[in-house]
Amino acid sequence: MKTLKEKLFQYITYLAALFTILCMLAIIFGIFREGLPLFRVVSLKQFIFTNNWYPTHAEPAFGALALIVGSLAVTLGALLIAVPLGLGSAIFISEIAGSKLREAIKPIIELLAGIPSVVYGLFGMAFLAPLVRQWFNLDTGLNVFSASIILGVMIVPIISSLSEDALSSVPSNIREASMALGATRSETIFRAVVPAARNGILCSVLLGFGRAVGETMVVLMVAGGAANIPTSIFEPTRPITSTIAAEMGETVVGDLHYQSLFALAILLFLITLATNLIAELVFSNRRR
Amino acid sequence: MKVRNVIIILAILLIGVSAFAKTNKVVCSGSTTVLPIAQATAEAFMDKNPNVNISIRGGGSGVGIAALQNGTVHIANSSRPMKTKEMNQCRAKGIAPTAYAVALDGIAILTHKSNPVSNLTVKQLKAIYTGAIKNWKDLGGPNLPIVVISRDVASGTFEVFNEKALGGAKVISSALLLASNNAVVTSVADTPGAIGYAGLGYLGDGVKTVSVNNIVPSKATVQNDTYPLSRKLYMYTNGKAKGAVGSYIAFIQSPAGQKIVENEGFVALK
Amino acid sequence: MVKPQLQTRKLNLWFGKNHVLHDVDLSVYSQKVTAMIGPSGCGKSTLLRCFNRMNDLIPETRITGDVLLGDEDIYKNGSDVSRIRAAVGMVFQKPNPFPKSIFNNVAYGLQIQGKIRRSELEERVEQSLKAAWLWEEVKDRLNQSAMSLSGGQQQRLCIARALANRPKVLLLDEPTSALDPQSTAKVEELCLELKKSVTILIVTHNVAQAGRISDYTAFMYLGDLVEFDKTEKMFTVPADKRTEAYLTGVFG
Ligand SMILES: Nc1ncnc2c1ncn2[C@@H]1O[C@H](COP(=O)(O)OP(=O)(O)OP(=O)(O)O)[C@@H](O)[C@H]1O
Ligand SMILES: [Mg+2]
Repeated sequence: MKTLKEKLFQYITYLAALFTILCMLAIIFGIFREGLPLFRVVSLKQFIFTNNWYPTHAEPAFGALALIVGSLAVTLGALLIAVPLGLGSAIFISEIAGSKLREAIKPIIELLAGIPSVVYGLFGMAFLAPLVRQWFNLDTGLNVFSASIILGVMIVPIISSLSEDALSSVPSNIREASMALGATRSETIFRAVVPAARNGILCSVLLGFGRAVGETMVVLMVAGGAANIPTSIFEPTRPITSTIAAEMGETVVGDLHYQSLFALAILLFLITLATNLIAELVFSNRRR
Repeated sequence: MKVRNVIIILAILLIGVSAFAKTNKVVCSGSTTVLPIAQATAEAFMDKNPNVNISIRGGGSGVGIAALQNGTVHIANSSRPMKTKEMNQCRAKGIAPTAYAVALDGIAILTHKSNPVSNLTVKQLKAIYTGAIKNWKDLGGPNLPIVVISRDVASGTFEVFNEKALGGAKVISSALLLASNNAVVTSVADTPGAIGYAGLGYLGDGVKTVSVNNIVPSKATVQNDTYPLSRKLYMYTNGKAKGAVGSYIAFIQSPAGQKIVENEGFVALK
Repeated sequence: MVKPQLQTRKLNLWFGKNHVLHDVDLSVYSQKVTAMIGPSGCGKSTLLRCFNRMNDLIPETRITGDVLLGDEDIYKNGSDVSRIRAAVGMVFQKPNPFPKSIFNNVAYGLQIQGKIRRSELEERVEQSLKAAWLWEEVKDRLNQSAMSLSGGQQQRLCIARALANRPKVLLLDEPTSALDPQSTAKVEELCLELKKSVTILIVTHNVAQAGRISDYTAFMYLGDLVEFDKTEKMFTVPADKRTEAYLTGVFG
């Protein structure tokens, strides 16, 4: 009787895992089936390396270079903001703050992660963009800079909480060893603790990258949506995600435009897959 | 114990009654422009016809039409006439799309409040949106670079603008493409050099509306078709609308329905 | 009488309300190995950590009395804690190398002290590794991670790391309790060699070990320094009953 129950339980968990994998496969299959036919008409090289996105024009063009550059630009901008902020607060929480302060700050940073992205987008569009336009005397505040700031703040919790885990899991005897050799507290943090947590921190940055590159709502609302390659951080841009979100609703199912959006989805999928694989590699390295 | 029994009996009764009551379900999806019209008229219609249940989804004109082709909806809302390709797909699937105009929509050209330019010709609009004119001083305004704001190239609003104002020309790639009418209005309102466009129903106080070819966008100019940038909004059904679907569409086209259309900021058919 | 290298006078220490050390007067002589023994929780580690002010890191610690390193009162206001810690090497119970290369582990203390020429750094690292009897085992793989060493090797690396600063005193807190007998023997021999150049203060639970390597022994009990004497003397004719009881294994 008991063994039957045990077996049943095992089967159920097994099925749950199988189902999850099936969902994953279905998604991959779906985007590839809808997206790959594009490359019968548009060459891969043309799709990735030409800057010419006119999907609904009478003579449509599907050169997604500007969208790819746009995604990378806002993501790197976000990391430039989020890495110092996230790592800084992780160091503060794990190494400097007393336990009371830590209990107060941690939930606040985690709350940042709970804010829906549309709220971030709204804030960026209604408050940040006008300010940015005025401060820098620009034509428009909807640009790479504003989008990077909002995205950056959004991924701070990821980088901060994962880095903090990494820092906290550095054994305290490493800190003692460093202090006993005459290092000050800050020397101990930067020369012993942070290097010891390096892989975990790298992991957090990669996951932050993955999150930022896939974020849709914020860039849709704040990046400006111009499909050209930005020549400065104060120019608008049109990342891959916002292109898909904005254009999918109105396309004719099965036509070239529709396929091109799925092709963009494939691209995005491959980018995030690559970052996850690298993160996984770094992580398993850390466990060794 | 007693209370619990009463509740159980009541529940059984309720289930029984609702099972016997005849409900007609109408499902529609499609254009987000038509969405507020569909929603408001559906509420009024269901108030009068409690046995009809109308559920409405957005998604965009293309999504609605695809759903009609797949037979998953009764009505496809569209902010544009069906494309030839979509017509062919319908025919291939044995669907006979029938169009019902439900409202008129004018696309207003918007500028920042401080901008003195008050009229633009369709030709000038085309020059601005294709990048031939880049400064307001070439249009009799101040020396200020023009910030071109457009809707996403896949939106119904863009499609109409592209057809009526640009004659199909390519919008300059540096134009900001925004995802909603509201986003356009908000951005124009706080960008001094901006030009944008949005449905008449979305205008706020923060922006200035310019006339096109000296015609001010208004109910009258849209209805008599003198305003160059206007369009019809449609509901598509498979074959002639019958039963609950038919009476719902008839209600929208009736004076009572058209009043609701106007309340939502659109222009009545007549 | 020789002047002690380390000395405490009326040293009292509290962790919060817990009075851990009571009026401890201890002298540690230069070029000798001094062992501290006593039952668990009696304050051996705490006393040891007074000599390089590591107890400062524990919140709510209060200290009265003097601790002298040579002539210097190390708890005097305004003394440079980093310099004191560099001058007093410490090795812990569990080997705790940094997850860095072998070379960088030994170089750590020197690099902290300030800029140093690469050639000099390499020389000092080599000297330290030689002094800790590790050089022959690692000289061909200085750039490999310290984590790839065995436990015994790691502990000798920690000793080398502490020696790189050329400390006057080496504090060892049960350095062999996590090691196998062979590695333990090696560390014990090493202590006997090292005492020629540094003063060694070692905490141990292993009475036999204290007997093997120490010149002096301090017996602590419940925060008191009960007895301090030449090891041979204490091990043959202990003055205090409690010492005798501990040495004969009645408790502890
Ligand atoms: N970080 C600390 N905070 C508060 N009290 C402490 C701390 N470390 C040690 N103590 C207390 O100080 C007393 C002495 O501890 P100590 O570690 O010096 O003992 P010990 O003789 O080294 O014992 P063992 O042989 O088990 O290592 C104990 O009562 C212990 O509870
Ligand atoms: Mg101890």
